[in-house]
Amino acid sequence: MTNKAWIEVALGGIALAFLAFAPSIVGPYWLGVLLQLLSLIALTQSWVSFSGLSGYVSLAHAVFYGLGAYIMAVFWQELPIWQILPLAGAAAVILAVVIGYPALRVRGPYFVILTLGLSEFVKYIVVAVEAATDSNGRLLLGTPDPEVLYYLLLGLAVAATLLTFWLSHSRWGVGLRAIREDETAAATLGVPVALLKTGAFALSAFIPGMVGAVWVMRATYFEPLELFSPSLSFSIVTIAIVGGSDQAPGPVLGATFIVILSELLWARAPQLYLILLGLLLIFFVLFIPRGIYGQISALQSGKRR
Amino acid sequence: MDILLSPQFLVAALVLSAIYALIALGLNLIYGTMRLLNVAHGEIMMLAGYVSYWAFVRLGIGPLISMIAAMAITAVLGALCYLTIFKAILRNRQLAARLESNSLLIFFGISIIVQNVLSLAFSADPRSYPYLDTVVPVLGARVELNRLVVLAVGAGATVLCILFFRYHRLGLAIRALIQQRDAASLVGIDADKINLLVFCLGFAMAGLAGSLIGMTSAISPFGGFPYTISAFIVIILGGLGNLLGGLFGAALLAFVEIYGVAVTSSAYRSVLLYGVFIFVLLIRPQGLVGRRAV
Repeated sequence: MTNKAWIEVALGGIALAFLAFAPSIVGPYWLGVLLQLLSLIALTQSWVSFSGLSGYVSLAHAVFYGLGAYIMAVFWQELPIWQILPLAGAAAVILAVVIGYPALRVRGPYFVILTLGLSEFVKYIVVAVEAATDSNGRLLLGTPDPEVLYYLLLGLAVAATLLTFWLSHSRWGVGLRAIREDETAAATLGVPVALLKTGAFALSAFIPGMVGAVWVMRATYFEPLELFSPSLSFSIVTIAIVGGSDQAPGPVLGATFIVILSELLWARAPQLYLILLGLLLIFFVLFIPRGIYGQISALQSGKRR
Repeated sequence: MDILLSPQFLVAALVLSAIYALIALGLNLIYGTMRLLNVAHGEIMMLAGYVSYWAFVRLGIGPLISMIAAMAITAVLGALCYLTIFKAILRNRQLAARLESNSLLIFFGISIIVQNVLSLAFSADPRSYPYLDTVVPVLGARVELNRLVVLAVGAGATVLCILFFRYHRLGLAIRALIQQRDAASLVGIDADKINLLVFCLGFAMAGLAGSLIGMTSAISPFGGFPYTISAFIVIILGGLGNLLGGLFGAALLAFVEIYGVAVTSSAYRSVLLYGVFIFVLLIRPQGLVGRRAV
């Protein structure tokens, strides 16, 4: 490993050690902030493992998240939590295969709009089903303590980070990057593009399904319009762009940055915070397209030369 | 069945068609010439809606006059967006390589900014004002006068645009850029100037649509998104970048929406809308009337 990789592993280890003991150190307020941070890391990390590597900008993450939350709400107190969680992830994966197989035939803007349309479609089906069964807003009683949810999310965030790390260093990831650069050329050279894309899309749905299932236990009620909100998909993309969407450390930095910014501003001036977020997004796309992590890496390799 | 034949639905579908046509034209222009996906389209509409609202409530000026101001303001905003951001992107090879996703993100940033500036200025509550809301009989249907105004202005503006693209030199230049960008530049069309014009036109059309919508329904800072989505559906139906196809898509979506809701219930409106959209995108991604494969 290079020097830089060692530093990164060491920093990651320190952060993880802090996060592992955080519930006994910080108060309930900061625990809530950390819950937010961990769920955003997990979500963005899983987004990067597909969209960041393949260049297919997916706005379907909200639907995987919402579906996971829905599964949890439907099976709440019918099955034990440890069974519902993987079920929620699996349901999201199945949905991703069903969506991805046809959707991944179209590229560029068509794919973006299609994933947005599909997630809105599923959202309104859930709304219609919930309205028809007269259960507007399901209440979840007796949810676990925030500490338990915290460790679940920590596990998911670590798993998602490892997933991105592994994928970006694997043959699979190389294939996805080839698709991002030039799909036709990649296909000509024998990269099984359809398989890699659909596989990565399905894999990237597992984590958000489970994060949604955990988060609905935190919210303690299921409201489809809120949990399937497309603005979640957009926030994830923003975090990925700000942090850098090609390597595992990017989403961690992006999510940390956004959560800190939101802590500083959200309570005092929510509109100002969102305006700033919009400006940041534009700024990063225009001037730092590789994100914070990509920029740091570029600066370091520039110094060495 | 009798209800479906009543002129009430026909008028409602026509009014909605006119609005959709106008929104989709603006969106399609910007996508067609520069391959930029404007997800802030609905927010631009809301901005214009607020201009008309403010003019009516504070100055007592009706939306038929203030819509001109609204169009001017949105056109200037379009020009600013182009000159400060998109001109640079189109020139930068690295950014232009992933133009569609980059433009989507930037327009998303713009939409958040517009939403929250509006929310700071006017609060997040929905706003509406009474304007020409007397009911008049048309073809045996009872319709509010303001809906007829929306239909007339919307249809008129759409026809004017189509004539502009058919006969005016600049309109022809825009269509040439949509069809063959490089070839159009080779024969002496100043792509940079046309891009600027397209931004102004596209934003002004969104502005006009926004002013019109404010006459009949409430506007709110975060109320633009459904219109953006509808506009996307319309231009996918008609084929991305296909101006006339968009008109066809607008009528189709409006009729499906009005009659579909009449047959089922308003609870299924969105399911119906997105169902049609996904069906078309999966079966014919180039649009119902498009020819090119994607």
